[in-house]
Amino acid sequence: MVTIEVLGTGCANCKRQMSNVEAAVKQLGITAEIKKVDDMAQILERGVMILPAIIVDGDLKISGRVADVPEIKKFLAGGA
Amino acid sequence: MCLRSRNFLPGVPEMAQQPTCSCSSTTGPAGPTRIIFPCAGQANTGQLTNLAAIQLTEEGYGNIACVALLAIGAEGLVTNAKKADEVIILDGCPMMCAKKIAAEQGIIPGQHIIVTELGIVKSGSGDYTDKDIETVVSAAWEGSGRPETTGKNGKKPGPGGCGCGDSCGGSC
Repeated sequence: MVTIEVLGTGCANCKRQMSNVEAAVKQLGITAEIKKVDDMAQILERGVMILPAIIVDGDLKISGRVADVPEIKKFLAGGA
Repeated sequence: MCLRSRNFLPGVPEMAQQPTCSCSSTTGPAGPTRIIFPCAGQANTGQLTNLAAIQLTEEGYGNIACVALLAIGAEGLVTNAKKADEVIILDGCPMMCAKKIAAEQGIIPGQHIIVTELGIVKSGSGDYTDKDIETVVSAAWEGSGRPETTGKNGKKPGPGGCGCGDSCGGSC
C-alpha cells in the first residue's frame, strides 16, 4: 500500500492538492493511505520549505505548486 | 529525494526557515506560467468560462486573457501566449470558438476544457450557480482538459519527456 502525505496549511492551493491526490488514487484504483499533514512542526520535520507538497512513501514528489491529476497518476504509477 | 538527509541550514535564523506557501504568490515559486482564455460566449456556459477564468486567476492558477484581443492577432498577447508554460482554453460548448481562435494564431492549448462536457447544460437563460463555476475551476486544477501525452503548450513530450516539442533533441 502506498502512503501519500499531502502537506499544506489549509489554504485553497493545499485543498486543491488534496482533492487532486484523491482523484488520482480513485482513477488508478490503487490502495493508498492519504494523510493530510497541516501541522507546521510536522511539515518542518519533513524538511519541506515550500507548500503545498506531496510525499509518497517518504520521497518528496512535489513542492511549491499544485500538481494536477495526470501528473500525480504518473508518479504514483512509478513514472517519475 | 530522501527527506531524512534534509536539515536546517546552519547559521540561518529559524524564522527564515519556516515553510512558505505558494498561494501567497501568483503561480507559486515553482509553478508554471499559465494564460487562460475563456470563450466568454453569450450563453450560460460561455459566461461560466469567464467567471471560472476570473476565479482561477484569483486562486493563482494562471492569468486570464482576452480571447477577443487574441482574435485580432494582438502581437504582444500572441507572443506571451506562446512563451507561457501552458495555455488553458475554456470553451462553453462544442463550437470551440476559443480553441479555433487560438489555433488561428498558432496557439495549441495544454488544456482544453469544454463546459458542456462537464455535465452543465447550455441554455439561453444565462443562469448558473456557484457550483457550476466550481465545477469548471476544479476541472482546470485537476488537469482534466489535458491529454496525458501533452507537453508544453500542448506539444507532445520529447524523448526526455520534457514537453518542449522535440526541439531540444532530448537535451533538456
